[in-house]
Amino acid sequence: MTNQNVEPILEIENLNISFFVRAGEIPAVMDFSCKIMPGETMGLVGESGCGKSTVALGIMRDMGNRGKITKGTIKYRGRDMGDMSQDELRNIRGSKISMIYQEPMASLNPAMKIGRQLMEVLEIHENASKEEAYNRSLDMLTSVKLPDPARVMDAYPHQISGGQQQRIVIAMALLSKPDLLLLDEPTTALDVTVEAGIVQLVKELAATTGTSMLFISHNLGLILETCDRITVMYSGEAVETGTVNEVFDQMRHPYTKGLFNSIPLPGADKNSRPLVAIPGQLPLPHMRPRGCNFGPRCEEYVEEICNAGHISMQQVEGQELHKSRCLRINEIDWDAEPERRIVEDPVAPGDVVLDVRDLQKYYDVAANKIFGGGDTRTVKANESITFQAREAETVAIVGESGCGKSTLAKVLLGLETATDGDVVLGAVDIGNTEVNDRTTKTVSAVQMVFQNPFDTLNPSHSVGAQIIRTLEKFKIGNSKSDRKERMLELLDLVKLPRAFAERMPRQLSGGQKQRIGVARAFAGQPQLVVADEPVSALDVSVQAAVTELLMEIQREAKTTMLFISHDLSVVRYIADRVVVMYLGHIVEQGTTNDIFSPPYHPYTEALLSAIPIADTSVVKKHIVLEGDIPSAMNPPSGCPFQTRCPRKAQVDGDLCEREVPPMRELASGHFVKCHLAASILDAMEPVIVLGDKPENVAPKVLAKKTAKSSGKASTSKAGSGAVAALAAVGTAAVAKSATAKKSSTKSVASKAKTTNAAALKQASKAPAATATASAKAKTGKVGSTVKPVTAKASTSKPAASPAASKATAKKAPAVKKDAAPPRMRKPAKPDDLKMISGVGPKIEGILHGLGVYKFEQVAKWKKAERDWVDDHLRFKGRIEREDWVKQAKALAKGGAEEYIKVFGKKPR
Amino acid sequence: MESLSAFAIFTGILYQFLPVWIALAIILIGCGIFRSKLGLVGKLYDNPIGIIGFAIVVFWILTALMADLVVPFDPYEQVLGMKNKAPGFPVTGQEGKYFLLGGDNLARDVFSRMVAGSQTVLSIAPAATLFAFMVGITLGLPAGYYMGRIDTGLSFLANMVLAFPVILLFFLLVTKGIIEVGIPMYLAAVLFAFPIIFLLILFTSKFNTRPNEMYLYVGLTLVIGLWAYTGLAFNADPLGVFSMDPNTLNIFVAVVFVNSPTVFRIVRGLVIDIKTRDYVAAAQTRGESPWYIMLWEILPNVRGPLIVDFCLRIGYTTILLGTLGFFGLGVSPESPDWGMTINEGRKLLLIYAHPALPPAIALMSLVLGLNFLADGLREESLKD
Repeated sequence: MTNQNVEPILEIENLNISFFVRAGEIPAVMDFSCKIMPGETMGLVGESGCGKSTVALGIMRDMGNRGKITKGTIKYRGRDMGDMSQDELRNIRGSKISMIYQEPMASLNPAMKIGRQLMEVLEIHENASKEEAYNRSLDMLTSVKLPDPARVMDAYPHQISGGQQQRIVIAMALLSKPDLLLLDEPTTALDVTVEAGIVQLVKELAATTGTSMLFISHNLGLILETCDRITVMYSGEAVETGTVNEVFDQMRHPYTKGLFNSIPLPGADKNSRPLVAIPGQLPLPHMRPRGCNFGPRCEEYVEEICNAGHISMQQVEGQELHKSRCLRINEIDWDAEPERRIVEDPVAPGDVVLDVRDLQKYYDVAANKIFGGGDTRTVKANESITFQAREAETVAIVGESGCGKSTLAKVLLGLETATDGDVVLGAVDIGNTEVNDRTTKTVSAVQMVFQNPFDTLNPSHSVGAQIIRTLEKFKIGNSKSDRKERMLELLDLVKLPRAFAERMPRQLSGGQKQRIGVARAFAGQPQLVVADEPVSALDVSVQAAVTELLMEIQREAKTTMLFISHDLSVVRYIADRVVVMYLGHIVEQGTTNDIFSPPYHPYTEALLSAIPIADTSVVKKHIVLEGDIPSAMNPPSGCPFQTRCPRKAQVDGDLCEREVPPMRELASGHFVKCHLAASILDAMEPVIVLGDKPENVAPKVLAKKTAKSSGKASTSKAGSGAVAALAAVGTAAVAKSATAKKSSTKSVASKAKTTNAAALKQASKAPAATATASAKAKTGKVGSTVKPVTAKASTSKPAASPAASKATAKKAPAVKKDAAPPRMRKPAKPDDLKMISGVGPKIEGILHGLGVYKFEQVAKWKKAERDWVDDHLRFKGRIEREDWVKQAKALAKGGAEEYIKVFGKKPR
Repeated sequence: MESLSAFAIFTGILYQFLPVWIALAIILIGCGIFRSKLGLVGKLYDNPIGIIGFAIVVFWILTALMADLVVPFDPYEQVLGMKNKAPGFPVTGQEGKYFLLGGDNLARDVFSRMVAGSQTVLSIAPAATLFAFMVGITLGLPAGYYMGRIDTGLSFLANMVLAFPVILLFFLLVTKGIIEVGIPMYLAAVLFAFPIIFLLILFTSKFNTRPNEMYLYVGLTLVIGLWAYTGLAFNADPLGVFSMDPNTLNIFVAVVFVNSPTVFRIVRGLVIDIKTRDYVAAAQTRGESPWYIMLWEILPNVRGPLIVDFCLRIGYTTILLGTLGFFGLGVSPESPDWGMTINEGRKLLLIYAHPALPPAIALMSLVLGLNFLADGLREESLKD
């Protein structure tokens, strides 16, 4: 990779770009250097306003009349682009260096046919004849995998979908066979499953054409999937650069570390392993601090060192390509675990608060509004939606655009009324009551947190006035001063200074606005809060803080939360139960554990495989869906997902096309709307597999178990023990000896063989495996220092700790046999474990995760197993005290009657 | 006595405007000092075009306010021997006094008439535009917010008015027979009711949670509003404070009538855009009434484009008034209204150009100033 004989395609040295505005010079990029080798993909990651797009514009020399390169050089194939004439630059732009922007529609001319636009590239840059241009364009469309390219050539951009538009843009950029492709957030505007397709396409093209790429994104997971090397930017500077594995596994800058701590990776848990937000905000460009830009937000900040003066990139020892803009690389303990606000007493879900039964919402779309003529078409936005939400529970509604999740929210809030079905809140049917007809109590009981922070507050009223108006409307407080006091308390609640009451929304940052939105939603002590992608528009480091805040308030107020999102990583982190929607149908619902472990609905499976995860130890199955989401105006016959379903062939005949599948209950509370036979569902393998695992194990089987345990970890408090211990096993494996390292390397490679090409690529690279191994060491340490409790779990019985041992108990004789209870496959009719006094829905979920479904199983637990489970649940002896085994025995023998006979009271 | 030279005329005019210059300087410097606290007006200082426009507009407002101090002669007074005299001509019988811009066909001072004419224009144009905005906003908000039938009906009406030839409409409105039927009065009765309706809805929608404040504001609106209403629309004010000359009422109503459909369309378009914002949804989810959302959530956020349009529209209205005056539909035949003065001067334009030019230039400069101001406001409000 670092072959000195090969000339880099692009070499940027000490680039400084400034914008000159009325207020003076605003430096947007400072001291930026990077090198892109032929065939290499460089990732540029950072939050909004960090200057990553400016770098791309600087390369294109297209910074408008206000932007200027003040220092440094950009060399294209060894030639300084600053010395080139305008004509030369024009020749290079669009032919040698192409750029792909975020919004595909903005890069295509809406008034020109796609074929014409494509051919123009060749006609201008290569003087190709019309015929040749047409043929080559057609070929290119075929290679970006557009269906029916000849038809697309003759279409206008608005006639095709967003994903197809982005493919056209990519095709256009590749037509002139560029050396370098600049991709500026190419998938941000697209849906997750469509994004997965584009990412795969980009990767394939990079492999086949050998084009170098600069991939700009705010999404670390996406960078991991696509890039070889990565540069992390913060506030106009590159703060860390290196190969993807170096940076992801051995980050050497506090900002990078903070970023990773604030995104929900598998293993994060809202109670036992919550996210850690980076405190503070990105400094404004003209208010950057002296010395390190990250200094004011950095925990490792040391006066006199970090603010002494300009900091240049420092070499990380032992890694040639790895550099960091931190003076304390060797002093900071990079494996130290940040302090987490661990929740010791999570609130268990209570009674059902919201009960939605067979909800339908249809819209009639008339062709001609004024004269009422033409044919009326019906949009079926929601089709037989049935689910429940309990007090203090977080139910996530997951789906892509057009799946009807926003319509559902509108019906709940009374902005629309249901066409059919019931929505019962408490004891009131609200499905057919518009918000203006609802009582004040009902209105304040259902509130919403909106998606776009820049839109959620009225720019014309002060923050305080807006909250006071809400209080007024909810009839809270008797006088003006009363309400003002309450408003200030709400500001305290969302951790904003009281002085913010006087501020106008434009004086607030995105995160702060979203906090005000939260305060407003919780002003009337709501029973139900609908959060519509509340953090998706925020920067990564702010997301964590707002998510944590939202959950903290929810926990204290015991509010039910409907969390609408397309981002499954956040959902896995935050939700207790998940509802997956597709084209107006609920296709799968169940506990978070049910959803994230097999069996899956094929759509959930695809959705899971599509989310980019910023963790090098994760191995995913890649399922790329064909085509786009059908229009709700013209839904497919039968199963809504049948047009894209990769498993359609596994169902006999044309059943999928004929009939909407029935809702099937696979396990208690786990529903799937699919025709697939039970045997196929049962045979499904997990999509996301954590790479940490002991050696000597058949990778596939183990992989499945590990995923299960990690899935469980995210739902339960006690699950943290599982994660920590899991990691601890990894540590043991790595730390013991070099042979352990070697074998784990081997196992990564062997596993990769069974999974996918991407992983293969990764594993075959020399540093990749070692990096993974060291990642294990890191996470292991992480696990053992979380908290005394977890530490105990991993130190007292390192090998026998819960999840890992469970995962390995049967398959890995090398590991000391432990006392985890024997597990079973999920039966068709699991017993209601909640009948055992002491087992709530949450604990039941954990037990299910352990493979415990029947009373008989519990009844057979020996002392060691009881202790194990007790320890696993951190119960400190509760199982013995409550005598679960005796209870279970009674229940197993004769159900409720036997229980009454033995205990003299009814079971729960 | 000799006529004044061009330079002397120029300095003479500047001198006559002395009180205006002083007031203008105070205002501009004052605003300049406190610009950081003045919001949009303060930002105009960063925009050369905007500040020029602002200065011109303030200049004419001050001229209208201080016309009595500025004019050297009574604009209606006819001075013997001054008929059609050239600029700078000494006034017969009055030592050391000159008709700075000459005399018109009826031997009146052109300069004084131009200065006095600003009063007519600046008293009618902004007020008529304001009324047109009241009508346009009150109808445009529900049309854009509810869409559907209300929108279809109101838009149809607006298009009807817009499609009708304006000049013909004016001729009709000031025709004797039509006035006797009472059409302008009925129109005035309808159009003048809108500001009252607007304010009533404005206060009731906001303060219905605080009844005490609501009664206060609603009471004030009703008392003052209805008082002014009876005076302006029916000329029946018992105290005689509010009244409007029938001629003025005619053109006032006409101007409001033709302007409001355009305002209606602008407001409707803006509302359709703004109502999709999340803060509107947030207001809906806390159970706000539609009128509260329209007036307190949406309207403040469309103020930018509306203010710009207001400035431009005063300019149009000024030209419209000029046109009306030119066709003899002005306020009263004697009045120094710019449009009328231009029309009178037109008759002898080839022989004596000087009576027609000053009002034309005045009209042009005011409209130009308003347009500059609107441009400046638009640019600055977009920047933020």
